[in-house]
Amino acid sequence: MKKSRIISVIVFFSVLGLIIYFPGRKWARGHVNYMTAVEDHPLNCLSCHVYTQKSGFISKLVNRKYLSPFNLAVSRDGSRLYVVAQESNALLVVDPETHKVLNKIKVGNLPHSVILSSDGQKAYVSNEWSDNVSVIDLASSKVVDTLNTGDGPAGLSLSADGKFLYVVDSYSSNISIIDLNTGEERKRFNAGNNPTGTELSPDGKTLYVTSRRALIEPYGETLKSELTVVDENTQRIRERRNIESAYMMENVAFTPTGDLAMATMIRPKNLVPSIQVEQGWMMTYGMTIIEQKENGRVIQLLLDEPNAYYSDPFDIVITPNGKKAFISSSGVNTISVVDIDSIRTLFAKSTPEQLANYSNNLGISARYVTKRIKTGAAPKGLALSSDGKLLYVAEQLEDRISVINTESLETVGSIDLGGPRTITVARQGRRLFNNSGHTFQTQFDCYTCHPDMHEDGLVYNMASKDMGRNLTNTQSLRDIGDTPPYKWNGKNQTVYKQDGMRFSTVLTRTEQFNYKDLDALTAYIITGIPYPPNLQYNPNGELTESQLRGKALFERTKDNLGNDILENNRCITCHRPPYYTNLKMAYVKTLAVTDDSMLFDTPHLNNIYASPPYLHDGRAATLEEIWTKYGKEDKHGRVNDMSKNQLNDLVDYLKSLRAPAYENNIPKKLHAKN
Amino acid sequence: MNKLRATIGLSFIMAIGFSCIFFSSCRKKTRDGMIIFTRFPKKVQNINYVTGDSLRYIPQAQIVALDPDKPESSLKVLTSDYYSARAPQISYDGKYLLFAAQQKQNDPWQIWEMDLNNLKSRQVTSSKENCTDPAYLPLGRLVFSKFSANDTLKAGHSLYTCNMDGSNMKRITFNPHTYFASNVLSDGRVLTIGSQVFPEQGSPMYMVLRPDGTKSELFYKGAEGSNLSGPGLETNNGKIVFIESDKSNPGEGNLISINYNRPLHSRVNLSSEVKGDFHSVFPQQSGRLLVSYRKSESDRYALYEFDPEKKALGRVIYSNNDYDVLEVVLTGKHERPKKLPSEVDMGVKTGLLMCQDINVLEMKHVGITSSIPKSSRIEIVGIDSTLGSVEVSEDGSFYLKVMADKPFKIQTVDKAGHVSHGPCGWIWLRPNERRGCVGCHEDPEMVPGNRVPLAVKTSPVIIPMHINKVVEKKVSLE
Repeated sequence: MKKSRIISVIVFFSVLGLIIYFPGRKWARGHVNYMTAVEDHPLNCLSCHVYTQKSGFISKLVNRKYLSPFNLAVSRDGSRLYVVAQESNALLVVDPETHKVLNKIKVGNLPHSVILSSDGQKAYVSNEWSDNVSVIDLASSKVVDTLNTGDGPAGLSLSADGKFLYVVDSYSSNISIIDLNTGEERKRFNAGNNPTGTELSPDGKTLYVTSRRALIEPYGETLKSELTVVDENTQRIRERRNIESAYMMENVAFTPTGDLAMATMIRPKNLVPSIQVEQGWMMTYGMTIIEQKENGRVIQLLLDEPNAYYSDPFDIVITPNGKKAFISSSGVNTISVVDIDSIRTLFAKSTPEQLANYSNNLGISARYVTKRIKTGAAPKGLALSSDGKLLYVAEQLEDRISVINTESLETVGSIDLGGPRTITVARQGRRLFNNSGHTFQTQFDCYTCHPDMHEDGLVYNMASKDMGRNLTNTQSLRDIGDTPPYKWNGKNQTVYKQDGMRFSTVLTRTEQFNYKDLDALTAYIITGIPYPPNLQYNPNGELTESQLRGKALFERTKDNLGNDILENNRCITCHRPPYYTNLKMAYVKTLAVTDDSMLFDTPHLNNIYASPPYLHDGRAATLEEIWTKYGKEDKHGRVNDMSKNQLNDLVDYLKSLRAPAYENNIPKKLHAKN
Repeated sequence: MNKLRATIGLSFIMAIGFSCIFFSSCRKKTRDGMIIFTRFPKKVQNINYVTGDSLRYIPQAQIVALDPDKPESSLKVLTSDYYSARAPQISYDGKYLLFAAQQKQNDPWQIWEMDLNNLKSRQVTSSKENCTDPAYLPLGRLVFSKFSANDTLKAGHSLYTCNMDGSNMKRITFNPHTYFASNVLSDGRVLTIGSQVFPEQGSPMYMVLRPDGTKSELFYKGAEGSNLSGPGLETNNGKIVFIESDKSNPGEGNLISINYNRPLHSRVNLSSEVKGDFHSVFPQQSGRLLVSYRKSESDRYALYEFDPEKKALGRVIYSNNDYDVLEVVLTGKHERPKKLPSEVDMGVKTGLLMCQDINVLEMKHVGITSSIPKSSRIEIVGIDSTLGSVEVSEDGSFYLKVMADKPFKIQTVDKAGHVSHGPCGWIWLRPNERRGCVGCHEDPEMVPGNRVPLAVKTSPVIIPMHINKVVEKKVSLE
């Protein structure tokens, strides 16, 4: 009796299980097929429902807080390394002999760079998401002062006499000069567009500041990025030098004799139809070299080779004898060693025509690149010991510093900074995001066009079915997990589809991500890309008078004449908070004659101030132009009744929009993770 | 009693099971690290690149396997059921052997695949024409050369791909060239020897193309008068090794290495210090090479080790006075190349070609432009006739919509109507392929300048020009 009861129970549950299993599995298959847009993605509930959790218990369980070393400095005697741990908001004090982390000094949000005072007593750390610089007394390992700066402080330089700190404000595109005696900002002037790198010439007379984004120009114009030259004596701008066809000039270094300045750069091919990857048709990478003499020439030399590209060059350092430069290429986990004398020879023996041609030649690197040294994931900041014998490399996605002997050019050590041992799914996704291994011949990676997981400010000719058609303004990836569908035409309903097969056919032109990698990449994109705070236009949530007036205009239902505005022509209808998108397709009459007919996915507007140019093809250089030049028919909201002042107010309000996390005061979400 | 019987029975079955697993795994183990090569009883003679005689279609060749540690005693003929067999290739999982063979003397050569565990073979292709030089593509396809005797593109071998059961065969080259000795690079592209056969015979050179036949381009070209005969094979340190004869001694094969990253300008003759001829090469995981080598013309090719660092021959692994050892491969797992996505859409009839500036020409030295006068038109020349003449845009760019899978050449014409440059080599576009050139005969190491070509601001010119309109299927926007 007992036995038969047990059998009955087993049979009952088995039948119930089968009844649930088969239709359940069928439903799950359909669901996964929809989400991934393929029919063979494994039915793994964890990949979508666990690893993509942005907050809460599960998120805490599956994610870790990494250090992500970004930049570093070496003490003059070589006994200490000072490492900016970007995602733990700290400066790590490291003993390079014992490989031990001696101290972890808390600084501001998302620290970017560190520089040491000439007497070695203090360290200055720029906090990109706090708009200030932490001053650290190295003897006590304490923050002794905090200096206010412009928005997004990044690169740092000290004046020759050590009395002034030059801070490059990357978001507000300024250079702040801070008097270190008073701690006050003495001057602020405009630099290029999204500047970050800076270096003082060896004679102490000239300060260079490099820009990451190109100056905003109409599509088709030659790309230009500003190299801002500051006269250190007068503390005035001496020259704004436009470096043509280059952008993402992350960092710059001078040779010790001061005869050359060398900056890292990308030479993109956004104006060329993106019809192939072969032969450098999408991106090339290298350095801009500026002769430091009267009428000094500027040349651009590639690091790439015909079948191998060295993507995302970040930092550059030059040995004290001026013979070698080291450049980190974070997209391919490589340090390129450059023989500077060979470059001097090129300058000396080449005609202007030859020098001009070098910038588009993939073979020329054989003349000056003497070695490629492999590193861990995403090598970023570099620092040389004062005798130049050791090179330290911040391996951002390894939580590690690698040590390279600059004579033998071999890696001689590795310093574990003590980050989490586990590589989470999202962290793996971030590595994939930053690595060009999934593009044909490593020509680019996600990070290349989405630096800082944002966008690069360029408009690309994506040549989807014809050439010269459908220009595409790169979109930011910040917090995009909550704003499907994707692409301007909204054709991709999920990140899975966006980065799946089409990504491989249209962009990377190599084998698509396997599903494990695709899961990881999706997990990272959905969970790990937060917005920076909008400290420039909305630091504390209190809107200015102008912004409040703009908010009223944004939400208005009647125009200036008292007429009702059609619901679908009100700003607030399509751009409703918290992401300022209704996630629907819209017709706003901004199609160009070269565009295929389509509706547009309503873009989100958080931190919209940081995403010029605007509209799907980037034709609007500013937010104003969306309406003053391209909204004359009132199809993109009713605006033509507005006065100039009202439009200014509306734009002021738009610039104040920030991420929901800041509105809701959820501090956990303020920082990058993974 | 019953329990005891059941236990004994179960134990017996388990013992048999474990034995099967043990022996089968042993057997698998013994296949790894075996050397497989072709041996040929007659002397290797001058080769004919068009027909493949004396190079591809060798009578009475055999594929044999040996254990390098006991070469004599372990030698086993794998293709004793065939009149002639050659071109061995090992699958990426190390379990199968792909080869070309002639079952009977007058049969056409076909592609076969052998299971290395049981040595059973099955026929892959069933063509009336000779098929040879197979190579595994990633994920269940292969590429091979097939003779096209009465083709409008003149006689020669074209490249084809098909599934491992011979189905879904697709031609991927469409120009009057003959293609041999394909290998699949780790980047997923097919590296092959291409040699023009029309209008005149050209020198063989390594060409590279995607497995769907798109983006064909020059990979390596030897000096004037040099010859290539075997596949270029990748080493595990970024080199590609192959055999090349030079003008001074066409019969002699040198062992050459080039860098994958910069193949056109990185040639190193690894055999410069070794007197004698090399016929084939195969890279080992250790970095050393297996080579077939003979000291002089009177000797037979034998199997040697070669140290590329020291540029020196190592030990003899196998030699036999009755045979030449020709093509060598090593069994075992090896890395699968990338599977490249395809842009080919057979529902589309045309491909698009854009050139950024026809006046960007090949430079003998970087930076020194040719003194050829500026061109303002291009002429597109087909196999039998001119397909059209097109005025280029002010910036030297042009944009063509060309009927797919038809070969054509382009020559540039100046304002006076004189041909100023070209014609270039034969080009073809696959259906829906989009392709770009920086210039005409430009330095292959040049990348395009970052500017919008004026030509793409208007619709492409249809080639042949007598066609006014091509009705294409609608391609959905990505």
